[in-house]
Amino acid sequence: MEYVKLSGFRLDGRRPTEMRHIHAEVGAVANADGSASFEMGNTKVIAAVYGPKEVENKGQQIGNKALVRCEYSMANFSTGDRARRPKGDRRSTELSLVIRQTMEACILTHLMPRSQIDIYVQVLQADGGTRSACINAATLALADAGIPMCDLVTSCAAGYLNSTPLLDLNYLEDSAGGPDVTVGLLSKLDKVTLLQMDAKLPLDIFENVMQLAIEGCKAIANLIRQVLLENTKKLEYLRGT
Amino acid sequence: MVGLSAGEKNFIRGGIEQDLRADGRQRQDFRPILIETGVIPQANGSARVRFGATDVIASVKAELGKPNPLQPGRGKVAIYVDCSPTAAPAFERGGGEELSTELSAALQKCLLGGKSGAGAGIDLSSLMVLEGKVCWDLYIDGLVVSSDGNLLDALAAAIKAALTNTGIPKVDVGVGASPDEQPEVNISDEEFLQFDTSAVPVIITLTKVGREYIVDATSDEESQMSSAVSVSVNSHGKVCGLIKRGGAGLDASVILDMVSAARHVSQKLIPLLDSEIDAAEAASLAGQGSDVDP
Repeated sequence: MEYVKLSGFRLDGRRPTEMRHIHAEVGAVANADGSASFEMGNTKVIAAVYGPKEVENKGQQIGNKALVRCEYSMANFSTGDRARRPKGDRRSTELSLVIRQTMEACILTHLMPRSQIDIYVQVLQADGGTRSACINAATLALADAGIPMCDLVTSCAAGYLNSTPLLDLNYLEDSAGGPDVTVGLLSKLDKVTLLQMDAKLPLDIFENVMQLAIEGCKAIANLIRQVLLENTKKLEYLRGT
Repeated sequence: MVGLSAGEKNFIRGGIEQDLRADGRQRQDFRPILIETGVIPQANGSARVRFGATDVIASVKAELGKPNPLQPGRGKVAIYVDCSPTAAPAFERGGGEELSTELSAALQKCLLGGKSGAGAGIDLSSLMVLEGKVCWDLYIDGLVVSSDGNLLDALAAAIKAALTNTGIPKVDVGVGASPDEQPEVNISDEEFLQFDTSAVPVIITLTKVGREYIVDATSDEESQMSSAVSVSVNSHGKVCGLIKRGGAGLDASVILDMVSAARHVSQKLIPLLDSEIDAAEAASLAGQGSDVDP
C-alpha cells in the first residue's frame, strides 16, 4: 500500500514531517490534584494525578524517595470495533510500566520521601500514538498538580514507510508493519528517557527517524509550555493580582 | 474519599434541614448541567455530561447482529458502565468493578424495561433490519471520568444525549436470498437514521439525609445519606423504574412521597435537558462545519 503519495502527502493529507493537530488542556478532572487532557488528531487521552500523599500500602513505602504508580486504561469505546477489555491485560500493564518509568525519570522523587504519587491515564479514543499521548498528558497533569520535576518530559513517535521518515504515525500507518520509534525526551536537558522501536531499520536511517521524533518531542514541549503558561496566567487573573 | 470532620458533617446536615445546602442550592435544585455531544467521533453517537464536578461520557456503538429467536422482531441493547481510575484512586485495579456493575444494572432496569423489552425507553422494534435475521445491536458504554456524587442521574442524562446524537446507518437487505441463508446487507455510509429519544426516561435520585431528601447530591452529601431512591421518569410523568439503595429502611409512605417529588422535579429537568441537548447538537454540527472550512 502507498502510504506516501507521489505528491509527497500522506493518507490523511499531512506532509511526512507534519504532526497531527494537537489540543491540550489542563484541568480535565475536577477532583484530582492535577489533571489534563491531550488530543493528537483523533487520539484522545485524559490523565489525572493524585498525590503526593501518604503511602497506602506500607510495604511499598520507600524511605528516601516517593513511590510513583501508574495505571493505564482504555475505554471500551476507544477503538474502531468495540471490545470489552479486561483490566490489567498485558498490553496495559506494559504501558503502565513504560509511563511510570518515564515519569519517574523527571519527577524529583527525593524531595518527597515516604509519599506516593498516583498517575492514571485513560484513553478515550485510540488512533495511533497512544503511548506518546499518555506521556504528554501525564506530564501536563503532573505540572498541574505542582509536583517538582527536573524538566518536562514529552514524547512523540516516528516511523519509516515507503522509504520516507514519517512523524507521528496514525493508526493506519502504525498497523502497516513498518518500524515505529517512540521517543521520550527531557527537552531542556536534551536527554532521551524513553526509546522503543519494533521491526528492523538500518542504523543510518534509524538516526534520521530518531532525530525526527526528537524534533517532534521538542515541538510538543513548546506547546505544553505554552498551555501551562496560559493556564498560570488565567489563575493569576482569577486571583486578581 | 476524604474524611469529613464532625463539624463539616453537622454543617451539611444542618444546611439540608434548613433548605440551604453547602453550595448554596436548595434541596430540589440541580447543579449546573453541561452537555457536549459528538465527543467520540469513532462511535455512532456520544455525549459528555457534567453535573458540577461529576463528569461522565456515554457512547453508543451499533453493530449488526442476529436477533434473539424468542423476540425476532426486536433489536438488542446492552448497557455497560466503567469507572475510570481517574475519577478516584479507589477505582484502580478493578476496584470500581462493584460500583460499575451496580450502575450498569440500575441503568438497564431504568432505561431498558423488563426482560421482554416492554416499557423500554428505546423502541427496540426500530432496530430491526430483517425480522428474525438481522438487527442492530446497540452497545451503550458509560465511562465515569470524574465523580462527585449522583453518578446514576448523570449517566442516564449522558445516555439520553448520546442516543439523540446517534445516527444508525441505513441498511439495504439484498433480495433473493433463500430463507435459510444469512442475507447479504449493504450498509449505507451516507444515509443515517436518527432515534426518537423523547421517550427515553431521565433518572432522578433522591438522597435521604436526616429527615429530608435532596436531589443531585455531591459525594460529601452522599456520605451522610441514610438511603437513596432512584426513580426513572419519562416525559409523560410516568415512572419507568425504581431502585432503592442504602441500608436504612424507609417507610412506604416516604417512598411514595419521594416518587411524587421525583416526578415533580422531572417536569423541570426534562425540558432543561432537552434544550441543553439541542444546543449541544447544534454546537457540534456547527463545529463540524467549521472543520471543513479552512
